[in-house]
Amino acid sequence: MQIIIDGKKIDAVYGDTILETCRKADIYIPTLCYHEAFGGQGRCRLCMVELEKEGQKKMVAACTYPITEKIEVRTSTPLIKKTRRNIIMLLYKRAPNSLLLQKLFREYECQDNSLKEDPAERCILCNLCVQACQEIGSNAISLIMRGTDKRVASPYDEASEACTGCGACALICPTAAIEMVEEGNKRSIWNKTFELLACERCGKLYTTKEQWEFTAKKNNACASDRQLCESCRKKAVAEKIKAYQAAEH
Amino acid sequence: MEKILVVQPEKCTGCRTCELVCSFVHTGEFNPLRSRITVFNFEKVGLATPIVCQQCSVAACMEVCPVGAITRDEETGAMLVSHDRCLRCKMCTIACPFGATIYDPVSDIISKCDLCGGDPQCVQYCPSGAITYQDPIKANLAKRKNYAEKLRVVYEEVV
Repeated sequence: MQIIIDGKKIDAVYGDTILETCRKADIYIPTLCYHEAFGGQGRCRLCMVELEKEGQKKMVAACTYPITEKIEVRTSTPLIKKTRRNIIMLLYKRAPNSLLLQKLFREYECQDNSLKEDPAERCILCNLCVQACQEIGSNAISLIMRGTDKRVASPYDEASEACTGCGACALICPTAAIEMVEEGNKRSIWNKTFELLACERCGKLYTTKEQWEFTAKKNNACASDRQLCESCRKKAVAEKIKAYQAAEH
Repeated sequence: MEKILVVQPEKCTGCRTCELVCSFVHTGEFNPLRSRITVFNFEKVGLATPIVCQQCSVAACMEVCPVGAITRDEETGAMLVSHDRCLRCKMCTIACPFGATIYDPVSDIISKCDLCGGDPQCVQYCPSGAITYQDPIKANLAKRKNYAEKLRVVYEEVV
């Protein structure tokens, strides 16, 4: 089906969201909480667009609005620009310590105001870390409390048994709000300290014991072998070839 | 039928041109550490061999991926990583039995052989023809011929 985005006719797939359609057509819509692996969450509200349907206008979040009929979408009207500026201002006030939001605050030319802020806060509650943990199958963290007290945490803020220390939450976080500290052979994240697994051959610390076991449980391709880092695993294969060649000659 | 990368260690001179070409094509710099193919030299026995992703039919990397970010390209048969979908949990790097799937911290992506979209550059630049890109049936035929040749030699020795 065809819809109109910013005055241009664009081919869209029935049921796709406005954001997905725009991404395919190279039309830029800013997002913070969107990740291709989970789809839209409608949390950060930065992807708001103006929609015209049967002569009526309204604003919707592009990441969650599925295209099911003929609509006209505008992605950068003055109203949308103003809305986005407000959203960035509010997100910045929520997480003023985040470098990304400080940058966006300047880029969108937001005005500072007297809203209360926590100068150390970096989290914008986009839920990406929680989603990532859930997809991986650990479910070690979640959003807790309600309203202004809402935050991401492990159960009772204690070390979670389910956490494997993979660090996907810290890497997916758009505002670098999750601290993962590596010191010596220890990795700390979410109030849990992990011992890093050393390669049996070269001693390189390449993962946590918990993550290795978690992966081995999912697929035993690595469980049969010794605990080797990627380069030593390659070398082991090369040595097998060497042994084979030596046996042939 | 999709072609496969065929490595012939007996032809490899250990020059590491493939590593440089691979890293240059994919990262824009000549850095063997960021190459997706690695050459191992065994000087004492005079053998060198490149190790590269096998594009396994039942791929451990694909099986452990929690979000289905690793899929097979229908045209080339290569296992491709969708970097937009990937969560960087690095389970694929742990699961790969060949160590051919690695995390590249510089560009923050999982990097593995993608067969250069059907025109592997390591094959183009390998000076000794140790890496070839060919039909699996033909590759197998070469192996069979090789084996038959050995049988002939043994037979001649006996007779």
